[in-house]
Amino acid sequence: MSLTKETKNTLSWSDTVELIDNLRVDEVGLKERVASLATRSIKKDSKLQALNYIVTMCDLTTLEGEDTEGKIGQMTAKAIRPDPSNIEVPSVAAVCVYPALVSKAKEMTKNSNVKVASVSSYFPSGQAPLESKILDTQFAIDQGADEIDIVINRKAFFEGDYRKMYDEIVALKEVCSSVHLKTILEVGELRTYENIKKASLISLAAGSDFIKTSTGKISDGSSREACYLMAKSVWDYKEVTGFKAGIKVAGGIRDSKDAIRYLVIVNEELGSDWLNPDYFRFGASSLVDDVLKQIKKLKTNAYQSGYYFPRG
Amino acid sequence: MNTWEYAESIESSSIVSIEKKYGIFFDGQFQSPNSKKYLKTISPSTEEVLSSVALGNQSDIDSAVESAKSGLKVWSKLSGTQRAKYLFKLARLIQERSREFAVLESLDGGKPIKESRDFDLPQVAANFFYFAGWADKLDISWNTKGLKPYGIVGQIIPWNFPLLMLSWKVAPALATGNVVILKPAESTPLTALLFAELCQEVGLPPGVFNLVTGDGTTGAALVQHPDVSKIAFTGSTAVGKYIQNETADRDIGLTLELGGKAANIVFNDAAIDQAVEGVVNGIFFNQGHVCCAGSRLVLQEDIHDEFVSKLEKRMQSLRVGNPLDKNTDIGAINSKEQLDKISSLVNEGIAEGGSIFQTDCDLPTDGYWFRPTLFTNAQPSYKISREEIFGPVLTTLTFRTPEEAIEISNNTEYGLSAGIWTEKGSKILWAADRLQAGVIWANTFNKFDPSSPFGGYKESGFGREGGRHGLLSYLKVQS
Amino acid sequence: MNEIKKTYKNYVGGKYLRSESGKTFRIALKSEFYEVPLTSRKDVRDAVVAAKKGFTEWQKLTPYNRTQVLYRLSEMLEGNIETYQQILEDSGLSKSKAKEDTKQALDSLIWYAGIADKWEQMTGNLNPVAGEYFNISHQESLGIVFTLNSDENSLNQLLLNILPSLVTGCSVISFNGDNSIMALKLAEDINNSDLPAGALNILSGKFDQIIDDVSNHVEINAMAIYKQLPSTDKKIIRENASKSLKRIFINPPVSGLESLLPFIETKTVWHPKGR
Repeated sequence: MSLTKETKNTLSWSDTVELIDNLRVDEVGLKERVASLATRSIKKDSKLQALNYIVTMCDLTTLEGEDTEGKIGQMTAKAIRPDPSNIEVPSVAAVCVYPALVSKAKEMTKNSNVKVASVSSYFPSGQAPLESKILDTQFAIDQGADEIDIVINRKAFFEGDYRKMYDEIVALKEVCSSVHLKTILEVGELRTYENIKKASLISLAAGSDFIKTSTGKISDGSSREACYLMAKSVWDYKEVTGFKAGIKVAGGIRDSKDAIRYLVIVNEELGSDWLNPDYFRFGASSLVDDVLKQIKKLKTNAYQSGYYFPRG
Repeated sequence: MNTWEYAESIESSSIVSIEKKYGIFFDGQFQSPNSKKYLKTISPSTEEVLSSVALGNQSDIDSAVESAKSGLKVWSKLSGTQRAKYLFKLARLIQERSREFAVLESLDGGKPIKESRDFDLPQVAANFFYFAGWADKLDISWNTKGLKPYGIVGQIIPWNFPLLMLSWKVAPALATGNVVILKPAESTPLTALLFAELCQEVGLPPGVFNLVTGDGTTGAALVQHPDVSKIAFTGSTAVGKYIQNETADRDIGLTLELGGKAANIVFNDAAIDQAVEGVVNGIFFNQGHVCCAGSRLVLQEDIHDEFVSKLEKRMQSLRVGNPLDKNTDIGAINSKEQLDKISSLVNEGIAEGGSIFQTDCDLPTDGYWFRPTLFTNAQPSYKISREEIFGPVLTTLTFRTPEEAIEISNNTEYGLSAGIWTEKGSKILWAADRLQAGVIWANTFNKFDPSSPFGGYKESGFGREGGRHGLLSYLKVQS
Repeated sequence: MNEIKKTYKNYVGGKYLRSESGKTFRIALKSEFYEVPLTSRKDVRDAVVAAKKGFTEWQKLTPYNRTQVLYRLSEMLEGNIETYQQILEDSGLSKSKAKEDTKQALDSLIWYAGIADKWEQMTGNLNPVAGEYFNISHQESLGIVFTLNSDENSLNQLLLNILPSLVTGCSVISFNGDNSIMALKLAEDINNSDLPAGALNILSGKFDQIIDDVSNHVEINAMAIYKQLPSTDKKIIRENASKSLKRIFINPPVSGLESLLPFIETKTVWHPKGR
């Protein structure tokens, strides 16, 4: 799995201003389109294909104060081999942990394709000076993180200081020059669809490789509407720069049915080029369990119990 | 890079049982037609014969009128509340059997099950519920005196929304105390026949709802019958004109809901992604077999390239195919005749100099199909910019100023609907005032509701269906 | 009994015009003859051109202004009321009947003047559609209306044939036969009122001479027939009307809100409600 994109592109602040000028989103029309995509009926082989996609796109995540090296050990083992009873089930894309646990995760995954992602920049609030955010990020990279998930500066965003928000991402991107940068918008706090689109485009213009819905730390985490808007932003950005950015959805995606609906959005709005872990990820803890049950159900035609699958 | 194909997800058609042969429905029963003739109704997606239905003639219309007369005697003695109860029951039964109706509609008419299931059927039930509630409130519906039902109403409906148009016609007519003789479209009679069964099931008094299937000659016999005191028609402008002419020697009520060539105006300050969706829904909904379809994209010149690029990309994601596949976006063209008409107009558009874009999708071998089609570089004088195509074909025209957008939009004999896309509120209201059309969709398109009046300006017809205004189509002022 | 008392002209586009044909016909009142124009087919076409301009101007006025204009007309009629009473008497009404008719005519004018800025509140409404949409049905004027007025010797009836379409914002071509003296007299007060030129045009003549031209004219959006016509005439009108789907109203209501309904088009506007 390669994380190198065709081109690396950022836009200057003045070009960014042009990009976010006069953004318009109609809420009702947006919801109608997303609801219509949710009526796709994914069955049989296409369902199995989707479930396998989802496993390979998962960032198995634990971001708790109570996390320990023991917990990380369990999770990484599961990440490498999600279903010990079925070797056809692939590894997940990555594990996602706090910076203090990166080195443990790295050690556990060294003989696998599973990447180690870490949150930084004073996740989840981002309420810290830029210098601290840089140190936080640098630490995670020094510990061996392959991917860094940062949060946007919502304080700056809501104060209308989009330039500050942009500059911070640019600065963090410099730190992350050798790793993959995912920028979390926290769509549940941005609330309006125009805010989500604006934050998406600023984050892309500042050099993010991925844009991500949520920290998972607030109740309004991800939504399919947000994912749709982010996909539209990714497309618009590609039209301007040629750069294909990725999307990570995280926060509240618990079952296969929901996850498949996200895949449909990406498939129809961006295309099959985006249907791989280089361009689309799920940040989740319990989603994988449901996906494994569904895969086994398709193979055996019997509904499964959770005790067949290991804890993460 | 592998692609993710959606496996077929077919709605089972085992839920419907179609008789080999259907008669006409009067005196509360199915009876053999006096004409002794039958028409075959086929599935446009497979060309398979589904059933034979009566080809009603003058004598069959006479029988239906006699039945309607006796029905009227009973119906006119009932209170509004009693009429309401029958309509509420019908609404409930339609809801209960909606899956059956939806499958039948898609089989007989070719529309995607997604639309018959999620749009047509819910709207059908909603229409009966809505008008049921008016039946005992007619005296407080309008600040006018002396509103009385016409009596026997002849209703002729098209093939694009067979059961939905039945509900638009039958529900308000019965609620206002009229009795009905319905002539469904030649190519889509099956859901109306099933509806007749429901009328039996709810015990609707015999003669209140009468159904005569057939073709244009059947419709003409209904229009010409001297005891029919009101004709409500939905269909082409040409036939609408024929009906007005044919009934010229009678003092008769007319509601004509006819053709359209709606402008869908996109200003440069629109929410572009939602406008693209609206334009797609405006023209590709129901294969473009929609009288109010947004068939002229009137696009501000400075966003032309960006918009067309997004539109073409979006069109490519439309899935054309088996109407019973839950993932089908665009079903079959309703008939061979309609397919030929669409093809011929599109060929003329190319010959006149329009640039054509069609999507790459595969089409099934049997049945009638047409790829989603977009014309750019079309001029207002081209036939494709002026004539109603009634298929999945969109024509683009450009404008520079708001005034020009209005001029282009109104430059047609039609006036059924129009769309406006801009995030500037005052511009919406300014444009809505100037567009000569009975329904204006601003930042949305092809939205319908039983409470919302629908009907045209100019040669798109007269009268309104739906809402409080729709009642007036079935009530005359008696001085 | 052979003296010509006065020659009246048609009132079109705010001007008094002879028929371009030069033809007139005679109407006898009491012991005197009046000449009135025998409207030609060309005159009808000219009236449509005037009515088109008049429609634009009449539409520019706010409903409140239309009320003002029509109320001002009632003041002028009241000032000249004796002239109208005289015509009614000369045409055969008793003094008391004539007085009663003019009184009713003024009442009718006041009623219609006062509804110009209200009718839409009674005919339009918000529709409670399912979903997050604002949906309103409001009303617009049908456009150019041709009225064939009743021949009744009555100022009130004349106004009741003209006002329903005029008050809804249509421009009107009012065609008169036996009642032409009254109608052309009314034109003089119309001319002195603030009604925009062309909003109301008054013609006299024989309807059967123009029936084809009127019913065939595509720019006439509607015909309101307030006179009793033979069924052959109604057939001609409706057959011709069908070529452009012209709205035809045979003996429509002449009072109440229902008298306005034929002349309005309902326009329904949808808009989503979102953030």
